[in-house]
Amino acid sequence: MGKLWVVIKREYLERVRSKWFIVVTLLGPVFFGAIMILPGYLSIRGMREARVSNVRIVDATGAGLGARIAEKLVPASLQATDGGNRAQVDIVPMSELPALEETLVAAVMARDLVGYLIVDTATMASGRARYAGRNAGSVGEVEAVESAVRAALLSSRIESAGIDATTAESLTQLRVRLQSERITDTGKGGSGLAGAIFGFAIAFLLYISIILYGQAILRGVMEEKTTRVAEVVMSSVSPDILLAGKVIGVGAVGLTQQLTWVASGVLFWTQRARIFSLLGFPSMPAISFPTIEPMVLVALLLFFILGYTFYASLFAAVGAMVGSQEEAQQAAQPVIMLLVFSIIFVQPVMTNPTGRLAEVMSWLPFSSPIIMPMRMTATQVSGLEISAVLLGLVLACFVSVWVSARIYRVGLLMYGKRPSIRELAKWVSRA
Amino acid sequence: MTELALDIRGIAKSYDGHVAVRELSLAVPRGMVYGLLGPNGAGKTTTIRMILDIIAPDQGSIRLFGRSHKEGGVLDRLGYLPEERGLYKKMSVRDVLRFLAELKGVKRRVADPRIDQWLDRLSLRTPEKDWSTAKIDELSRGMQQKVQFISTLLHEPELVILDEPFSGLDPINAQALKDTVVDLKRAGKTVIFSTHLMDNAERLCDSVCIIARGEKVLDGSVAAVKAENAGRTVVLALDGSAGDALAPVFRDKSLVDRVDDQSRFFEIELAAGADAQHLLKRIVDTGVRVQRFERVQPSLHQIFLQRVGATGVEEGMTGHG
Repeated sequence: MGKLWVVIKREYLERVRSKWFIVVTLLGPVFFGAIMILPGYLSIRGMREARVSNVRIVDATGAGLGARIAEKLVPASLQATDGGNRAQVDIVPMSELPALEETLVAAVMARDLVGYLIVDTATMASGRARYAGRNAGSVGEVEAVESAVRAALLSSRIESAGIDATTAESLTQLRVRLQSERITDTGKGGSGLAGAIFGFAIAFLLYISIILYGQAILRGVMEEKTTRVAEVVMSSVSPDILLAGKVIGVGAVGLTQQLTWVASGVLFWTQRARIFSLLGFPSMPAISFPTIEPMVLVALLLFFILGYTFYASLFAAVGAMVGSQEEAQQAAQPVIMLLVFSIIFVQPVMTNPTGRLAEVMSWLPFSSPIIMPMRMTATQVSGLEISAVLLGLVLACFVSVWVSARIYRVGLLMYGKRPSIRELAKWVSRA
Repeated sequence: MTELALDIRGIAKSYDGHVAVRELSLAVPRGMVYGLLGPNGAGKTTTIRMILDIIAPDQGSIRLFGRSHKEGGVLDRLGYLPEERGLYKKMSVRDVLRFLAELKGVKRRVADPRIDQWLDRLSLRTPEKDWSTAKIDELSRGMQQKVQFISTLLHEPELVILDEPFSGLDPINAQALKDTVVDLKRAGKTVIFSTHLMDNAERLCDSVCIIARGEKVLDGSVAAVKAENAGRTVVLALDGSAGDALAPVFRDKSLVDRVDDQSRFFEIELAAGADAQHLLKRIVDTGVRVQRFERVQPSLHQIFLQRVGATGVEEGMTGHG
């Protein structure tokens, strides 16, 4: 046991101390922060830029449409803080339009204005309006202007149909928001969308870490073989302990990295209100986080550990078979194919987590570590089914570790050409 | 406490029909420098790997210090320098040494002062430059060999197994290695080394075992081996070239077993039962001028050639280590 610990310690410390590990681990929180803060920041910035004081509305309708647009252009959330700082509206006759437009173009060029909007009688009749400005390339901002025009036009038409102003206002204020909620056997389980996103994130995280750390095992084994250090080490420990130490050590590195990521993610999430207010953002719309039961968390962890063990031992066997980086790439392909095969089904499974495909893919041992956690978080899966799949995965792990340990034992001291399938079978049977 | 450091009985190993080692038995007393001699591919490395439990023999038993080599802690008393050397390239010298020592059950606080001692002794740590923090791949080949050598001895093993230790060593490191082997013997340790360089073996070993084609050819103390094979070798030196005059004499199989013909200098192996006096007479009769005719003790090299023969070397070359 002491020796296993020595091997684990080396595998862990050598990797955790490497620059690569530190950079990637720290990039995680930066990335989380970015995806959490950037959308908020960008939308606020967008709102500020679309600040109406910087947009001029030229109203040649003679029906006061410009004023209505100015009112609609200010988002409700900003109206209070901005004190009704609305776009300036110039009411002009049609004949003066060309001259005014020239001065406005000059103003935009001189950056005094972001843009200007021209509405005229054609707008009243057919909804045609013109907008020109520096931000004309921004779909979101143009859309905001467009919807303001639409709303203004609508309220104006409703009013002219004889309905009073306040009723017209409330009629045009209509916005549809569909809030979806997942219902499981234990009751409501948070938003359906959040569940799906969470499931997808889990599947992807598992895929990435299995492939990343599986390859790390492969490289580690290959290094020991090609530098011939394996023989010295094997004169002190059995190859089984060496293999176990490697798999556990590298797995612990993976867990360290992911716990760092998860912890930073949770920190960002729980502290988001404080962070946003520090940065001067208004509060974000509330997204209800999917509630995760402790048992599900345990299952997720088990899926990671077992899935990692299954693939790590296969990668170790590949590493023991090959003598060079080029050979490794070829020989690792079947193992990587298994992983890729699992990940291409993520999309269809996510769209239909209760379908037959999702079920089958979450049962197969090689894809279950990726598909089952996603299915579990996206929909309700019975505890019995999860246990059965976990048991199957445990059995698959035993087989893959047993076969790999044999290939590893023989392969580590074999130099020369890569073994054929038949030779591999011999290694497994005689070791 | 048993007197034997290593006791091998009837071990055998074959790979896919190729026999690497067959029915090999060895006994190495404590405190001895023991040479495992044989041509490349004779089965030396396979034997050593079986001793270290890196590969399992198909049959037979291996005991170290009177206990099974599979027993816990027994292998920790061994130090091993493999023929193919290598260390973790990205680790620092000290970390590699600590790791390999810890694998042998030596705690870090015990290992560290020993590492310092060895680094000083082999000039890897001098007032100008301390290599202990350098990564292995920053070291020259000779320095890497020194580090590997330290790792073999850091846990103060009672039995040191060196597989072809002289291959690839520069003369300075080779000398350091010879000195260390002598030191180890003085300290009462047992050293087993395999080599195909008979000169080194003859000078360093107390006992030898010659193996070829996976089988033991002979073993025993160097003195005994030489005595057993003594009296049959004759050295002949001529004044001027003999031409073909001696050829008929050497072809006489009742008289001569084998000749190492070096034109003016000959090492002659007498046939069993042949009389050296008779041979001398025949040589003189051919009319050549004899400068020197002497019955000598054979070198290990000659014994090796005589007992293993050129065919053994050739066949052995194609097999596994």
